[in-house]
Amino acid sequence: MSDALLRVDDLKVHFPLRKRSLFAAPQTVRAVDGVSFSVRRGSTFGIVGESGSGKTTTALAIMRLVDITAGQVDLAGETFSALQGEQLRTARRRMQIIFQDPYSSLNPRMRAGAIVKEPMQRMAIGTDAERDERVRSLFEQVGLRADQAQLFPHQFSGGQRQRIGIARALATKPELVVCDEPVSALDVAIQAQILNLLGSLQKQFGLTYLFISHDLGVVQYLCDEVAVMYLGRIVEYSTREALFENPLHPYTWALLSAVPRMGRRRKGGEEGRNSRLRLEGDPPSPINPPPGCRFSARCPFAEERCRTEEPLLREIRPGQRVACHLVRDDGTVPHRPAVL
Amino acid sequence: MGALLEIENLQVEFDTWEGRVRVLDGVSLSVNAGETLGIVGESGCGKSMTALAIMGLVPRPAGHVTGGSVRFDGEDLLKANEARLREVRGHRIAMIFQEPMTSLNPVFTVGDQVAEAARLHLGLTAAQARRRTIEMLKAVHIPEAERRIDEYPHQFSGGMRQRVMIAMALVCEPQVLIADEPTTALDVTVQAQIFDLLQELRDTRGTAIVLITHDMGAIAEMADRVVVMYAGRKVEEGAVERILGEPAHPYTRGLLACRPQLKLGPGAVRTALQEIPGVVPPLHLLGRGCAFAERCGEAMPRCREQFPGESEVGPGHRASCWLLEAPEGRRAA
Repeated sequence: MSDALLRVDDLKVHFPLRKRSLFAAPQTVRAVDGVSFSVRRGSTFGIVGESGSGKTTTALAIMRLVDITAGQVDLAGETFSALQGEQLRTARRRMQIIFQDPYSSLNPRMRAGAIVKEPMQRMAIGTDAERDERVRSLFEQVGLRADQAQLFPHQFSGGQRQRIGIARALATKPELVVCDEPVSALDVAIQAQILNLLGSLQKQFGLTYLFISHDLGVVQYLCDEVAVMYLGRIVEYSTREALFENPLHPYTWALLSAVPRMGRRRKGGEEGRNSRLRLEGDPPSPINPPPGCRFSARCPFAEERCRTEEPLLREIRPGQRVACHLVRDDGTVPHRPAVL
Repeated sequence: MGALLEIENLQVEFDTWEGRVRVLDGVSLSVNAGETLGIVGESGCGKSMTALAIMGLVPRPAGHVTGGSVRFDGEDLLKANEARLREVRGHRIAMIFQEPMTSLNPVFTVGDQVAEAARLHLGLTAAQARRRTIEMLKAVHIPEAERRIDEYPHQFSGGMRQRVMIAMALVCEPQVLIADEPTTALDVTVQAQIFDLLQELRDTRGTAIVLITHDMGAIAEMADRVVVMYAGRKVEEGAVERILGEPAHPYTRGLLACRPQLKLGPGAVRTALQEIPGVVPPLHLLGRGCAFAERCGEAMPRCREQFPGESEVGPGHRASCWLLEAPEGRRAA
């Protein structure tokens, strides 16, 4: 695909675990274990999953903020994952990140303007006067007043701080912006302000977003394509339309049916509890994951085959890929719960 | 039928550097047995303070309850002494907090912490309390309860810790359970499990639940009645179907429209996301008028001058907004 800005190919991030004793077998956390996808220029790609699914590690590995164990990351045709030293440093301006927590991700001792200016200084972009001018225009673009650049982070509300974080991410004119749960720490009423801002900035500057979230409502609102991750693997990878109209993987069903929705009154008693697909227990640990399908331990429909043979991500129809033995090649799935 | 818990005209003030600030202003609400009341609003609206006031836990010396009453089973808890409050707290009215990570004591086993309330309030012996604790841990679906009772909080995941908190709150079979954002720190799948559990308790034991949340989706699934709060005041109250279907207050409408709602099935389309501009005003800067006027798209001069009284907009459905009294009548949602 020629218009792919970002291509991720068989990305793996493994962390060795400290041995508990001299004679213990070495253990590895397979945080990301063979993830491939590509993101079209100007689009928004969502990664969803529970905590521990590897979605944030995937983003950090793409940005080269954690070491890649195996695999390749291409940015606009260039092998970003192979860059080293000065080349990597120069290329970093093309990828920026917006963090989840606007309270801990801004230095409390720097003025807001200096925070936004810093990436340009680090990457030696423009003259000092040009940088100041850009800070002023960025402040206006994210909905702050230019004179607020003189203030310190504690003088802003949570939503305003996230605007500063967005301005900082845009300072180096990146092509790819990674948004790591950018609204989950904000008050409900403020979330809409930030989501709308992200949308209009994308239109204005042709930005490409990699959007990490556990909130499926937000993902549906913002993303064009979505990958659902479970224990370091992509289990379903679809366009937005396909994923929300016709989800295929039992884990996706479980995620979707867990979201509280308006207009769906929860029925009391046994009947109400059975109307959704419930997952028992917590996600298992990504340390030495089980053989076969990683979801098989929690999947209510798992068969013998699921526990021995790992399903591969395969295309069911254009724009819809799933890794599940139960999904037939014609795209029909048994057991699909009625609530979806 | 009298309500199990009835708050009337509750007023709480705090001493701050800016002077005395009223954080709760004339809040009235009630909960019946076996009912779930949802309290919804942004941070700083007084939701949690209402819960603390019910429990007699308004932080001192800065906080003062300056008026109103909290009647539980006919008794005014605001007039009760500390000894009596201690009998009620954790026994008849229990609370689960937002942060299961910080609300458990890391140096005691999970079993000790659950058993404490049972020994204190029910006068059980250590052995009886242990049996009761295992029973409770099983009731909140903690696997291998007999073994895990002797583990420490750090050995539990976030969802499991929240279950322990619920077990602690329920060990004395309280009549009222106050849940202050019980699932905010948890994954959606775990949130669904906790909601199932709360509902099961309400259905099987008739526990009244006060669910404090900012998520209208949670309200839609869990609550029977809803109270919407803004800047220390109740702005709307009604049955959940009315609040979701025919919200009367602009703030309630804003809360409903500002969150992306998940839509499933064929033809699912994205709905436009409406924002509520601005933020909740600092409480010391509140004027005489409606606190929401600054963020309200429909505000009139009158809104900034005087706080509107409650208007009845339907059976059991009341809201405080001048628009409801405007000559052209109520505007369509």
